[in-house]
Amino acid sequence: MTARLPSLLLLLILLAGWEGWCRFGGLSPLVLPPPSAVLATLGGEIASGRLWPHLAVTAAEMGLGLGIGALVGLGTGILLAEVPALSRLLRPYVLASQLVPKLALGPLFIIWFGFGMTPTIVITALICFFPLMETTLTGLGEVDAARRDLFRMLGASRLQTLLRLKLPAALPVIMAGLRVAVVLALVGAVVGEFIGGRSGLGASIIAAQSVMDSSLIFALFIVITALGMLLYEAVRLVERRVLHRFSKG
Amino acid sequence: MPTDPPPTDPSAPGFVAIERAGYRYEAGGPAVVDGVDWAIPRGEIHCLLGRSGCGKTTLLKLAAGLLLPSEGAIRIAGEALRGPSPRAGFVFQAPTLLDWLSALDNVLLPVSLKRRPTAAERAAARDLLARVGLADLAERRPRELSGGQRSRVAVARALIGAPDLLLLDEPFAALDALTREELQDDLLRLCALHGTTALFVTHDIGEAVYLGDRVAVMAGGRLTQARRIALPRPRPPALRYTPVFAAACRALREAMDGEAGPASRRPAA
Repeated sequence: MTARLPSLLLLLILLAGWEGWCRFGGLSPLVLPPPSAVLATLGGEIASGRLWPHLAVTAAEMGLGLGIGALVGLGTGILLAEVPALSRLLRPYVLASQLVPKLALGPLFIIWFGFGMTPTIVITALICFFPLMETTLTGLGEVDAARRDLFRMLGASRLQTLLRLKLPAALPVIMAGLRVAVVLALVGAVVGEFIGGRSGLGASIIAAQSVMDSSLIFALFIVITALGMLLYEAVRLVERRVLHRFSKG
Repeated sequence: MPTDPPPTDPSAPGFVAIERAGYRYEAGGPAVVDGVDWAIPRGEIHCLLGRSGCGKTTLLKLAAGLLLPSEGAIRIAGEALRGPSPRAGFVFQAPTLLDWLSALDNVLLPVSLKRRPTAAERAAARDLLARVGLADLAERRPRELSGGQRSRVAVARALIGAPDLLLLDEPFAALDALTREELQDDLLRLCALHGTTALFVTHDIGEAVYLGDRVAVMAGGRLTQARRIALPRPRPPALRYTPVFAAACRALREAMDGEAGPASRRPAA
């Protein structure tokens, strides 16, 4: 706690500065609402219960998108690492699919999947896919030659070499990819809702914008940031557990 | 699956027979190992001595079946190698332990890749760890062990399946002199225990003389010298500092200077 004290102090100073600027700087609350107003709005949203359904929708989209994207990315990474011929064949296409701005695919996904959670989940999954695939491919490729020789010497099958040598050895790299994916998942979910969402935190931002309620927009920023930090910390926790198990020290 | 060896022919050249073995990374490229003939009788320890890049590691990998010879053949108990030999244990230059397993589980790895280790096998692994002086450190992870201790675990792992043949690729090169001497003594003791045949690659003349029944000198992919080391067994640690030992080292060194292959023929790898 004492280690976090300076960060907390800095937050208080920044908030006080912001509040002072809004009160004495003659700034319109429409442009920049003071933190006190933002907090009041946030409190109101929480108290009225309007916030929870939106939070649940965004969290679900983020979680599902991250889960699907990460699993498919991990699977593709393993497949491409294990079958170099397939990797040579597909790499350009995989890369191209990632260079297409995925948010620009939003309107297309709305045509395909309709409004609602599905297009946002697909966009989030597409975004999360790449860091997992890339890090899995890199991690599996970096297992050193002597250890691979050891497994050959011991007569290990290909699956055994993958499960008992390559994947555990690659875990730190793969987990780093997962952390990147968490951050991207939040962006994917919120921005995906900008395009096609009817509910969720991103859709609420668009709704607040249409009525020029900037203090609600700020309140939603806080909720989104908190959601992201929560999920990031959860992944860090999983990472520490997994790494402790698989490559201590 | 290992099959029973054919009845040993008394006229057979040796338990391990390397017959005019050659290896090139690509067809038509330079030979890294060039027409090597060598035989190791059962139970003997032979050392392969040479500078870095002389092809000795490649020759060792050929003997292990990790590489297949471009020319010639490698036979273990009369049977030509066609892949990694299940009868051989290999100790690499680096300990190559799995960081996420305890020392005990690392020693048990060769077993656990085939089946769930039995209580007897776990006891055998603990016994091996005790024999290399790590009885109390069985539950430690590799990161919590010193370099010498990791090398000991690697030697124990190579011996868990009671292999007929032990192949070692400069396993102690990165250790300090005292630890290296201790490990050499451990190795000699363990090999004597089951009459294990061993091929030990090193660039250290003293190590080759201390461990070997026979020492082959390699240069430019060929064996240029072979000497029998006429020192008695078991060899006590103090032997290293006797005049006989020093004389054997000097003789070997002079032989290397006299007949080392021309530098220009040394392959890059």
